[in-house]
Order: sequence, then structure tokens, then C-alpha cells
Amino acid sequence: MIFAVLLLPPLLAAALAALVKPYRLVVGWGTALLALAPLAGGVALCARILNGEVLTWGSGEFLRADGLSALLVLCIAFVAALAAWLGPGLTAADAYSAGERRGYRVYSNLFAFTMFLAVTAHNVGVMWVAVEATTITSALLIPLHVTKPSVEASWKYILICSVGIALAFVGTVLAYFDFVNLAGEQPAALNWTALLASAPSLHREVLQLAFVFLLIGYGTKAGLAPMHTWLPDAHSESPSALSAMMSGVLLAVAIYAIIRWKIVVDAAMGPAFSHRLLVALSLLSLAIAAFSLIGQRNYKRMLAYSSIEHTGLTCLGLALGPLGVFAAMLHMINHTVTKSMMFLLAGRVQQRYQSTEIAEAPGLIRIMPVTAGLFAAGMFAIAGLPPFGLFISEFALMRAGFAAGQTGLMALVLVLLAVAFIALLRNLNRMLYGMPPAATRTGENEPWALAPLGLCVFILLVLGVVLPSPLNGLLNRVVEIVSP
Amino acid sequence: MDVLFSQLVVLGSSLTLICALMLLWHRHVYAYTTAFAWQSVVLTGIMAVVAYFERDAEMYFVAALFLLLKGWVIPRLLRRIEQPLGDEQELRPYVNTATSLLVCALLVLFAYAVSRPLVALSRLPTRAGMPLALGLIFISLFVIASRKKALTQVIGFLMLENGIALLAVLGTYGIPLVVELGVFLDLLLGVIVMQLVIYHIRDTFESIDVEQLGRLRH
Repeated sequence: MIFAVLLLPPLLAAALAALVKPYRLVVGWGTALLALAPLAGGVALCARILNGEVLTWGSGEFLRADGLSALLVLCIAFVAALAAWLGPGLTAADAYSAGERRGYRVYSNLFAFTMFLAVTAHNVGVMWVAVEATTITSALLIPLHVTKPSVEASWKYILICSVGIALAFVGTVLAYFDFVNLAGEQPAALNWTALLASAPSLHREVLQLAFVFLLIGYGTKAGLAPMHTWLPDAHSESPSALSAMMSGVLLAVAIYAIIRWKIVVDAAMGPAFSHRLLVALSLLSLAIAAFSLIGQRNYKRMLAYSSIEHTGLTCLGLALGPLGVFAAMLHMINHTVTKSMMFLLAGRVQQRYQSTEIAEAPGLIRIMPVTAGLFAAGMFAIAGLPPFGLFISEFALMRAGFAAGQTGLMALVLVLLAVAFIALLRNLNRMLYGMPPAATRTGENEPWALAPLGLCVFILLVLGVVLPSPLNGLLNRVVEIVSP
Repeated sequence: MDVLFSQLVVLGSSLTLICALMLLWHRHVYAYTTAFAWQSVVLTGIMAVVAYFERDAEMYFVAALFLLLKGWVIPRLLRRIEQPLGDEQELRPYVNTATSLLVCALLVLFAYAVSRPLVALSRLPTRAGMPLALGLIFISLFVIASRKKALTQVIGFLMLENGIALLAVLGTYGIPLVVELGVFLDLLLGVIVMQLVIYHIRDTFESIDVEQLGRLRH
């Protein structure tokens, strides 16, 4: 039942937008309303998970949701709803044609559907199919306005991610090969629970090889360096609502896939192997992101590099034991809320200044005071300042690292975070103050759209002060799953 | 019996590898589609051989679907992308032909080294072909990285998928049907989307040389 509430509304919304020709604004509102259903479903799912249930559906337990899935479902539903309510196609005033609005409504909903499927599929092969489908559905949306940069970004995205994900499939096939050699052919062989149950007797060398392929493959999609090259382009050139979905949750979905496999591999050979690889890739991501932030001239690319930084931090947390996993998951939630909000705000800025260059968008505080305030709050948050949620999760991450005895590693991470911090705040300063171009109109457009964004800041503030007990319970369940 | 089975499979795997090498020494992009179509036909043959020796009815079904999709539908789609472009040629790839062939020889050696634990673990008569499947995967990756035309990269990607299919057939006699069908669907939709993006590239850049795609740097 809950699975139906999660998976069917996006499909229904996509079908609605695809079938009604020509596009009408009321269709957009219909799809926006439908986007609220999975959010309610996600909350209900979390409540049942907290009761100690694990939900399954279908023959051979085709769909399965445990604490980890529930957390991701909640994140996806939140961002998908945000993108549906603030994306193109709701007012006649946005800068899109009827065809573009229709395209957005169709593909963004299919995109949401594939992400929901990826985190609820029990079979890791089906999970792979769903993750690959996220690339296909979102690649079409990047060149919503066909321009040279957006077409280029789209090509890079679909090629690099398809190839990356294909490598993840090599890993999946190798793990399946390992399993079949142990237990013979079974229809349930690729079910995650079956893999996990047989993990201790799997062949280690083959599984190591498989995990390298899986980490490179899903890591490409998660934006881990050095496979991150598609990410700044795709995030900066897409329509802002799509950037919000990609940065906010698509990266998290890819990390989810890595986590699922990490659990199996850790059960087979202990955590040392996966931790070494994760630490190396995370550090590289942090370093590349921090130094790319310094000279950044484009504010959407700046946000994209910050996503790489936070992906790095999340993956680093996964390698730091139970405390680290807790911090990493909390960090993922905070990042989802912050970054989806930031890309939507960046879209408002871009619409006003008609440019994504930092140098061409000064004086934000005079032009759009409320947007500027929210943008500043978000920048403080991604830079890791209190009283926002990301400060708490980064702090928890540091504590986990020091508790795990990784003093040198953590010192290095702190240095890189400081570099990113300075770069981000310097850029923010250049955007907030200064003299705006003379012809720029003052005042907010679509002021109602600020309400959901304000809600994001509110959530961040709450998470920066307290950890609500249901969330705490859910995170503890995830920790039990990830590092038993 | 097993000896014949094993030899047929290794012969087929080697043929798929040779089809991939076509991409390296041929200059006309037109020939690449042909190479890909033939590679898919050979792969279908391998599947049929496995299905015959293992009396696996499901495998015949998958092989038929594979032939339909990769031997016919996707090559036709590729031809449709080619037609308006005229005679596309890989004039100056990032790596020249002689070096490319040398690199590929090294990649196949590397594949043999990497797949030692796989071959040691498997008890199937098809195991001797697994290093070749990994070799095909590595060579396809090299093609994608070293060639400039968007279409060549798409065909490289399709050959990569063929390599994975070969690995699955040789290692485990295929993957569960539901996953297989999902993979087919993804592949078909993926190629259609790539086709759309290539049209966009052609319309905005008036060429499908990915070297032109250099504005998004920094």
C-alpha cells in the first residue's frame, strides 16, 4: 500500500502531463498536488519503520523498505515536492514555452519515479536498472532551453554516467557470479538480503574486484572525484529545479547504492577494504572541490563543487565506524535540504540578473532582500557555520573521526573545509554587496515561492539546534543496518 | 562434448573482440555500426550455443530478444543518426591507430591478469572466455576515451554493454530475467536519448566532433 503511494503518483503525474495536449497550467498544479502524496507516504513509511517493521511487497519480495530506504524515500519525496511546486509550468510568467513546461512535468516526474524505485527495489539488479534510468530521464531535461553549453553538459552527463553505471553493472554481474558459484542459480540470488546472508562464504578476491567496479560506477553518479567531471556542467546548465533534484537527492541515491554494496562487502571480508577505498576517494573529492571553489566565477558551478565536497564528507563518514555512519546520514539529510533550496534560490537570482557569473550579479541584498537573506543563510549553512544543521553533522563527523583514531586524516579534512569555507564566504560577499547593474528591477517576483524555501531554512535551523527523536530513531536504525 | 562447447565459446568470444578492434583501425564511422551489428550477432550465437548445451529455454528467449534489439533495432537507430551527417570519419583520434592497437593488446593482457580469480573459481565449461569478455569491456572503455566523434562514443558504449552481456553469459549463463529485461529497456531508451542529444549537438554546433565541446571548462 505504502509502495503504491510512493511509486504511482509520479507515474500518474507524468502520464497526465504527457497526455494533455497542449499543456495547460492546471496540469502543472495537478502534478504539484500529486507530488505531495509520496511525501505523506514517506512519513507513514518512516513511522512504520520506527515501529520495527520492514516492509516488503510482491512475489519474491520485489520491493523492500528498511530504515535506510525510508530515509532516502523521505529525502526524495521532499525534494521532488519542492521541485514540483517551484519548477517551471505553474505560472504563465516563467521563462518557458508550453512544450518546455510539458517536458519538465513529464520527465521530472519520471525522474522522481526512478529514484523511488532505486531505493525500494530489493533486487540489486533492479536497483541498477533504476539508477541507470535516472540518467536517461534527467539527461533530457538538462537542455530544456537548447543552448551550446546545456547541450554539451547533457552529452557529458549521459555519456560519463552511462559508462560509469555500466561499470557498476560489471560489478553486479561479478558479485552474482560469485554468489551463483557458491549457491547455484536461484531467482532470488540478486536480492539484497540473500546476498547479505551468504556474504560470509563468498569468495573474497572476486568480491573485491566487484566492489572496485561498483564503487567506480556508482561513485561516478555520486560525483566522487576523479569521476566527477560531468557534475559541475550538468548542475550549472540544467533548469534550477532539476539541479535541485540532482544535487539534492540524485547524489544521495547513488551513495545509497554504494552503501548497500558496502554492507555486503563488509559482511564478507570486514570493513577495512571498503574503508580504504572510500577514504581515498572522499579525500580526493574534498581536495578537488575545495580548490575548485577558490577561483570559481560562476555561482551555480560554485554550488555544484560544494555538492562534490559534501558527497566527499558523506562517504568519508561511512568509513568512520558507527558514529561516522550516523554523522554521514545526518549530513546527507542536511545537504539534501540545503542544496535543493540553494539551487532553487540560484534560479531566482539567475532569472533576475540573466547571468550565472558571480561578477555580474552584485548587490543582491538591494535587488531581492528576502532571496538574498535566504541565500546568505544557505551559504552559511553549506560553509558549515552554526546554527545550521550542517554544522552539527560536520561536527559529529569530526568527532567520529577523532574517536576512530584518524587524527591526521581529520586534520587534513579540517584544512580542506577551511579552504572551502573561505572561498564560499568570499563569493557570497561579492554577490550580496556592490552596485547592481542599473537596469535590474528591484523587488521579489512570485513572493509566494519564498515560503517553501523559508521552510527549508527553518528545517535547517531546527536540525542545527535539536535532533528530533523520530529522526534520531530512524538514524539509529540506519546505523544498525550499515554497521552492525 | 564439453570440449566442443568450450571451444565454440572461446571462438565466439574472440570474434566479438575482433569486432571491437574494427573501431580502432577503420576510419569510417559507417563501418562501426556494421561491426557492432556483427558483434551482436556473434554474441547471440554464443547465447544460442550455451542454451543448446545447457538445455536452457529461457536463454533462447533472451538470445532472440538480444538479436532483435542489438542486431536490428539499435543498428537501425544508429544508421538513422548517421544518415544526415554524411560520411563521418575519425580523422585524428586522440590516440593514433598503431598505438591504439598496442594499448589494446596490453588491455587484453591486463584482463587476463585481473580475471585469474574468476577463472579459478568457476567450474563452468565457458570460463575460458571470461578474460576475453573483460578484455572487450576494457577495449570499449579505451575507444570511448580516445575517439572524438559522438557517434563513435555511443558505439563504444554499446560494445561495453555487449562485453558485460558476454561476461554474464559466460560466468553465470545469464542474469535473472527481470533484470535482463530491465537492462534491455534501459539500453533502448538510453540510445534514443543519446540520439536526441546528438541531434541537439549537430543543430547547435554543426558538427558532432566532441572536441568542439570545450566551453564548459574551469
